[in-house]
Amino acid sequence: MTNSTVSHLRDDREILLRVENLVVEYTTKAGTVRAVSDVSLDVAAGETVAIVGESGCGKSTLAKGVMQLIPTVSGKVLLNGNDLASLKGEELRRARPNIQMIFQDSISSLDPHLRVRELVEQPLKVWGRGTDEERRAKVDDLLRSVNLDPSIVGDRKPTEFSGGQCQRISIARALSIEPQLLVCDEPVSSLDVSIQAQILNIIQAMKIRYGLSLLFISHDLAVVRAISDCVYVMYLGKVCEVAPPERLASSPAHHYTHALVSAVPIPDPTVGRRRAILEGEPPSPTNPPSGCRFRTRCPAATEKCAAEEPQLREVSPGQFVACHHPRG
Amino acid sequence: MSALFELENLRVQFDTKRGKLHAVRGVTLHIAAGECLGIVGESGSGKTVMWRAAMGLLRGKKVHRSGSVRLLGRELLPMSAKEVRHFWGTEIAMVFQDPMTALNPVRRIGSQFSEALVKRLRMDKAAANERVVELLRLVRMPEPEKLVRKYPLQLSGGMRQRVMIAMAIACNPKLLLADEPTTALDVTVQAQVLELLSDLREKLGMGMVIVTHDLGIVAGHSDRIAVLYAGEVVELATTRSLFARTKMPYTEALLKSIPRLDGKRGETLQAIEGAPPDPVAQTAACFFAPRCRYATEKCRTEHPELLDDGTGHWYRCFYPLKAPAQ
Amino acid sequence: MCCTPLLTHESEVGVAKGRPGPLGFYLASGWLLVCVFTAFFGDFFPLPKWDEYDYDNLGLPLFSDGHLLGTDYDGSDVLSGLVHGARTSLGISFTAVFIGSVIGGLLGIVAAYRRGWVDSVVTMYFNVSLAIPTIVLTLVMVALFATPNVDDPSSGWPRELVLIISLTLVIIPILGRLARGSALSWSGRDFVLVAESIGMKKRSILRTHIIPNVLPSMMSVAFLAAGVVIVIEGGLAILGVGANPGASWGSMLAKNRGELAITPHTTLVPAGVIGLTVMALNYFGDYFRLRIDDRESRI
Repeated sequence: MTNSTVSHLRDDREILLRVENLVVEYTTKAGTVRAVSDVSLDVAAGETVAIVGESGCGKSTLAKGVMQLIPTVSGKVLLNGNDLASLKGEELRRARPNIQMIFQDSISSLDPHLRVRELVEQPLKVWGRGTDEERRAKVDDLLRSVNLDPSIVGDRKPTEFSGGQCQRISIARALSIEPQLLVCDEPVSSLDVSIQAQILNIIQAMKIRYGLSLLFISHDLAVVRAISDCVYVMYLGKVCEVAPPERLASSPAHHYTHALVSAVPIPDPTVGRRRAILEGEPPSPTNPPSGCRFRTRCPAATEKCAAEEPQLREVSPGQFVACHHPRG
Repeated sequence: MSALFELENLRVQFDTKRGKLHAVRGVTLHIAAGECLGIVGESGSGKTVMWRAAMGLLRGKKVHRSGSVRLLGRELLPMSAKEVRHFWGTEIAMVFQDPMTALNPVRRIGSQFSEALVKRLRMDKAAANERVVELLRLVRMPEPEKLVRKYPLQLSGGMRQRVMIAMAIACNPKLLLADEPTTALDVTVQAQVLELLSDLREKLGMGMVIVTHDLGIVAGHSDRIAVLYAGEVVELATTRSLFARTKMPYTEALLKSIPRLDGKRGETLQAIEGAPPDPVAQTAACFFAPRCRYATEKCRTEHPELLDDGTGHWYRCFYPLKAPAQ
Repeated sequence: MCCTPLLTHESEVGVAKGRPGPLGFYLASGWLLVCVFTAFFGDFFPLPKWDEYDYDNLGLPLFSDGHLLGTDYDGSDVLSGLVHGARTSLGISFTAVFIGSVIGGLLGIVAAYRRGWVDSVVTMYFNVSLAIPTIVLTLVMVALFATPNVDDPSSGWPRELVLIISLTLVIIPILGRLARGSALSWSGRDFVLVAESIGMKKRSILRTHIIPNVLPSMMSVAFLAAGVVIVIEGGLAILGVGANPGASWGSMLAKNRGELAITPHTTLVPAGVIGLTVMALNYFGDYFRLRIDDRESRI
């Protein structure tokens, strides 16, 4: 499951973000954990790329690594050709307006003692965009675009709002400086079912309005399917499959993806499915299995899988899988 | 089929600073032996308050419960906390979202279990310990003999959940109540746990209630489904009937707003605008009217009753949907 | 448009028990205002000077002519003593706590946000200072700085100044550790990460996000600390290293405790005043703490 070949990365389209061989580690009492192990991906202009995986796969760490909010051990993060990972201090700070992020816990993303208007205005103030008047007008406009009435919410504090409303405020704030890329780290996972749709629709609308590209992190395949152009599936720090969402759902090539897809509950009792129930527990991230990391739970594992780590290779147009014995 | 567990016109109110908060407004449900009922609702629908109040977990001066809750014919509401506890484990068992609420982090798993068995079933220690290993095997835990020596925090979330399930079925309850049992778990682990629950239900002939917000879970695992909104049951039907012949606009809207793995890409999700009603406010209208695309004047001035369409499919709407919903 | 503020019944059913009512607020603030007023304007009160020895009227009981609260064994008027003492006791206490909080707070917050070697050095300083007993520190400082030379009776720093310095040194690590802990907790919040991702400078983040959120919890402890310092000063006075006898409430206690059997009011009245003041300060400490808890429970 290595990506040291970056064969799945594209050169033909207008690529906005290109991540090459990114490695992120952190130390725990049990040892060093490679949360992100040699991951490469790219996002084209106007595209939505999704990263899915379960807990411990490293997707959130990947998002923070791309944003350079945590130190990365090695690898490149090329935004418009500029390697963010090689920038430090002031240079890195100056590169930030082009790439913004929305977090999972919407309420904790907002400083509780500031008012909504001040929060949304912050990026504009930091970068000195516009006069006071202009900023106020822009903030009001942004709030309206996320379906919040500025005259009602403007002077309130975040603690007075629900998770969904706080997420809207976060979105408004992130878009105030008009970034090119928006990284969304599980933006709807902690929201109620009927609110999820509202927020997803807002994100889609904003994408069109501002011409954004999205890097969307989620554990929910159904959500990802609805909004993305390309999906990366991660397991234990590595990418195991890359494919367009319909292909992923209808004919997943990797055995883990297959298990993931068949585990997602479908709200329709008439759909009978063969459930591929995974056995066992995920291995410890401090001591991952040799060769293919998924082999300890894979129904198709052979000796080769223990000896040699599989690389991502194309098995159908646009679909890459890191497996010695892919399905189909 | 005699009803195993019945709720009749259960109402739960809380006294708060802003007035009386109506969390549950007259819920009537029954569960027969061996059947699985899914209770679906979002936060604020009253789905958690409902059964917690029914089980006597919500008490105090500020809590007002009325109506009837019967377990195998016995009224639970008038009972004291001590009396109700008598039924926990032996007649009715509960499984929660967070297994750490049921597991003591400073005691080994084996001893937590066997204590319950010794006390409840009057087993001697040796027999209890054997039963513990047996139960852990039943919930498909690897190496149960080694597991009994471990502490809860040494296990993963999915394993803890299975231990909690094992503890719940230890005394052979007739009804298992699962409140969001898999919400905190990964999707693949969720599938394992749900499969386990279905399996156990068949093997042990238990009745089951799954309380969740996820329509996908109940679609695959329950016989009947009750949809809750604003503290009331708004639709109650067999699983097939609920999905194939949805009558409530709320249920339809919910189904349309959920992203689906088998859906068409590019199809925009139809979000339900607005938010659930304020539980303190009293209104004579239908609670869903402000958000309902079919609402009429009547819906805004009168409150619909729960009606049966003759086939056991109950709905609470003046204008139930006719055509099969997609 | 969905703009209705959050209404969760959990936050409402959990009514704050033990929240002090408005009566307590008025009483506490009233008392403190009286004390502070007295500290500033005590000089203008039509009372005998506090250190004026009225040898004709030694040990007068309460409500005597010309001496409303009586006099102590050397004729000093108790009421005047209290009036003057307000300035000394409150002055020492508030100054030490204020300066200590500012220094300790800054150190703690910067240490928490910066981490690394800065944090290690500051924490070490805090731990070492906390290990030094207050009494020993004050004794040493008084001996070094406030004790006049044998040949020059007016040399040396004034007692009060030395007390302020030593008590400030005691307060710094206490408030500092609190500030550090609070800042650590706030630094871990998502909104600080968000601020970084927007491109805010570290200094701005400290100023805009961390300090305003740490301040309320510090205020709560600062009030409590002020009360404790007043009492500590009393203890130090009994050991002979407090303010000069009779100059502060604590030293009035120290001065007159030998006469407890004969003129109990000369000890009990200052003790009562100290008690009331500390209670009022504690009240405010609690009040701020509850407001913070209230707010933080929603996050």
